[in-house]
Amino acid sequence: MDEERAWIEGALKGDQAAFGRLVQAYERPVYNLTYRLLHDAVEAEDAAQETFLRAYDKLATYQPERKFVNWLLSIASHYCIDILRRRGRAPQLSLDGPLPPQWLASDAQRPDQTVDKKQQQEQVRQMLELLEPAYRAAVVLRYWYDLSYEEIAEAMGTTESAIKSRLHRARRMLAGHLQAA
Amino acid sequence: MGEPVECRDSERMSLFMSQALDGLLAAADRQVLEGHLAVCPACRAEWQAMQQVSALFKSAEMVGPRLGFATRVERRLADKAKKRRRLFGGAAVLTGSLSLAAVTAAVVAVIVLGVVAGNWLNVLPEVKEGTNTVSQIASGVNLVGKGASLFLGDLLRSFGVPMVIGVGIALALLVVVWVWVAVKRPGGYHHNGIA
Repeated sequence: MDEERAWIEGALKGDQAAFGRLVQAYERPVYNLTYRLLHDAVEAEDAAQETFLRAYDKLATYQPERKFVNWLLSIASHYCIDILRRRGRAPQLSLDGPLPPQWLASDAQRPDQTVDKKQQQEQVRQMLELLEPAYRAAVVLRYWYDLSYEEIAEAMGTTESAIKSRLHRARRMLAGHLQAA
Repeated sequence: MGEPVECRDSERMSLFMSQALDGLLAAADRQVLEGHLAVCPACRAEWQAMQQVSALFKSAEMVGPRLGFATRVERRLADKAKKRRRLFGGAAVLTGSLSLAAVTAAVVAVIVLGVVAGNWLNVLPEVKEGTNTVSQIASGVNLVGKGASLFLGDLLRSFGVPMVIGVGIALALLVVVWVWVAVKRPGGYHHNGIA
């Protein structure tokens, strides 16, 4: 953490190597978020790069009492949600909507044991794609980053009760689809 | 498998389920949920489905970018800084040139028109031969000053005070912008130590 603080202070003073270290340290969590939200490797790479460019520009506004990675995730999630909303790809979830064929297989009962990683990734992608952007971001921040409701709310610029409600609704929707199989 | 019967308490129970998955369900509510699940097949089915979804997400690993991501970010930062520098440089040259041109034109106009106005009104101070250089310069300055004051007085009469003050402020702002651009011109982001 002290190392991170030193990199941030260095980057603020114009030390490019220090900012490079920050990028290396957090490229994976930032990319994972953009990939889980956008579901396209090229777009995810571009969004992750854009996240760091914005972070570099706004570094002076970063408040040290907040976790740096959460600040980056906040920038990334806002950026990706904007892209998704502009695209108008989501929401697609309806309780009466058709279920992706992969979910009908019986091995969907124990995904961690019975399906290979590629298939599992595909299932995750299809499930997340059913959720509208704000719900999807809440789910990803909860499951992949283990953020608390408070941290997710801070990252997404909303309230804890809104996050609680989004997670509840998202789980309910996805469970409903799974049951419909 | 038969379709479970609808549950009237499903909204509240599913909220409990969601909180339980996050480890945030209070002990008393957990007992309520467990008691309900024991007697409600619809909620039990929903609970199992929620757990499956949760297990799937939990088992999915974090994915990372292609190798060399940090270098690609550095390159974009360097390109961005270069573009910004170019933009600021152009603005600095433009506003600087305009400022200098405007200030020069104003000074020349003051001197020329001041002298002309002074001649016409016959109020020029004399610059006598045989006097020393200092007094000649003083007379010259006095001459320009009188001419300028006559010219300004004329401007004020012809265009009104607001117009003359407005032009003056615009010129001053132009100079300020030029100085600001020159001072704030961004530095470069050097990729791998190379400009």
